[in-house]
Amino acid sequence: MAMTYETRVAWQNRMLLVPALVLLAGFILIPAGAAIYISFTNEALSGFAAAHPQLVGLKNYVRLFSDDGFWNSLVVTAFFVFGSSIVGQFVLGLASAMALRRPIAFRPVFNAAILLPNAVPEVVAGFIWISMLAGGKYSTVSRIVGLVGIPPQNWLGSLPLLMIIVVNTWRGIAFAMILMTSGLSAVPTEVYEAARMDGATPRQIFWRITLPLLRPTIFLYMLVSTAGTIAIFGLIYTLTRGGPGGATEIIGIYIYNQSFTAYQLGYGSAVAVIMLGVSVAIGVIYVRVLKVQV
Amino acid sequence: MRKFSRAEATAYGFLTVTLVFCLLPFLWVVLASVDPNASLFLSLPKAITADHFVKIFTAENGGRWFFNSLVTVGATTALVIIVAGMGGYALSRTNAWWKRPFLYAIILVRVLPPTALIVPLYKVMLISNGVMGALVRSIVPPDSIRSAMQIFGFVDGYLGLILVLSAMQLPLALWIIKTFFDLTPKDYEEAALMDGANVFQRIRRILVPLALPGLGAAGLLTFIGAWGDFLMPLTFISSANLQLLPIGLFRAFQRANTIDYGYLSALALLYMLPAVVAFGVARGFLVQTFTGGIKG
Repeated sequence: MAMTYETRVAWQNRMLLVPALVLLAGFILIPAGAAIYISFTNEALSGFAAAHPQLVGLKNYVRLFSDDGFWNSLVVTAFFVFGSSIVGQFVLGLASAMALRRPIAFRPVFNAAILLPNAVPEVVAGFIWISMLAGGKYSTVSRIVGLVGIPPQNWLGSLPLLMIIVVNTWRGIAFAMILMTSGLSAVPTEVYEAARMDGATPRQIFWRITLPLLRPTIFLYMLVSTAGTIAIFGLIYTLTRGGPGGATEIIGIYIYNQSFTAYQLGYGSAVAVIMLGVSVAIGVIYVRVLKVQV
Repeated sequence: MRKFSRAEATAYGFLTVTLVFCLLPFLWVVLASVDPNASLFLSLPKAITADHFVKIFTAENGGRWFFNSLVTVGATTALVIIVAGMGGYALSRTNAWWKRPFLYAIILVRVLPPTALIVPLYKVMLISNGVMGALVRSIVPPDSIRSAMQIFGFVDGYLGLILVLSAMQLPLALWIIKTFFDLTPKDYEEAALMDGANVFQRIRRILVPLALPGLGAAGLLTFIGAWGDFLMPLTFISSANLQLLPIGLFRAFQRANTIDYGYLSALALLYMLPAVVAFGVARGFLVQTFTGGIKG
């Protein structure tokens, strides 16, 4: 029996998606499902449990709620996301976008400078910041703050969380700036002109017009950047590996250290399931609230 | 001279401080890479040398790491362009019931953090490696099994790494290419179909030329993502001769006592160069990258 043209096209479309489906299923969806299963076992990377993993029910989850390391990683993650993406990158990115909307000389230079930290691989970013933040009076940051009389110190040792927030802010200004620029360009200039005619001060214009009109863009930024910041791994791993003493151990680093340094795959997976849940929640909010067009 | 308004002066002042903040960290790596006496600290070189760059390709492993990265990331980019090209086209043209669920699933998959998947992914890779090992042993002679597994293996082998990197970059590429095909009229394809062109002719003569900008954007962003990836090569590659640039650089930097700062700086510059160039070319697509398809 001959297929109609429509059925043939329908089959053709399905076949064209098979390779993509195989890759996504094999390396993302099945692992995500397996994480849930492994989180109910006592699987380990070495020792007796490695050869004979057993179902242990909710044991990993019970342990998780009484584990200081886990709560510590949640708090560190919250500070890291809040400090770098919600405050640092957002404020500097919005300010850059607004400054670059003016007829500024050397605009491409400023633009490129802000984009560069975002373009370099995480390892390179870690590498150059280790030099910036090294201990002793010769490191760049020590010399700069020395100008205002702050004594030199081992920055990644004494203020580790603040330092990774600074480094990640440095890396992500570009993202906020690009999004805010596209948000600002959607605001009609007549609105500003009308406000100025009515005698509004720049401060009033910013708080009463710019910010409210940017609200959808800001919301989008907060979601995407929170999801992205939670997922950061290489940048922190190259700088501190989560140390000293867990001070920079955001949840992704905690999972990695629990799984591959402490060899506790089952427990690491329980933490991973929590992290997956949070990420999926962010994704669902993104789709539902922003009404993504597909 | 024109007088600056207060707002203008503020803008220039702010932008200058931001520029210094953004560029200052790079000063050290640039200067150290040409300084024969480079150290961990920023200093003006007393002499200038190209030795560190020469050394990458002559004396140390840097050249090999660079080559390894180029091969795996190049293969990843090619694979993603093909797979996402096919899938993105189908997603754009179909009206089947699974279209919307599939697209929403892509958005959700994009927010899953790789660190949360790494443990089960490791198990999937171990199992696949076992299957592939049995297959390889039944085909190749015993003395070349080791080298065959370095290419086709899933753990400490390139095939597995290429597939994992591809899967991680695939959702974004699918999205970009699908969006691109949405903007491409169907008329050309239909005209070619009427003229009796078969499927392969239509792909080669009509679809690929039409989709080239979309495929290019997806390819660039895949390259940037896979080139900078740290977690996958860290977890899945252990042999020294298979090592990729990010891990080689990281490990060399961890050897506390014998760090050759000039050499590593040169290597870091070489490593960031392709990413920066690709980023510069792909700039127009960046809003899409970050948001995964909100129409701006």
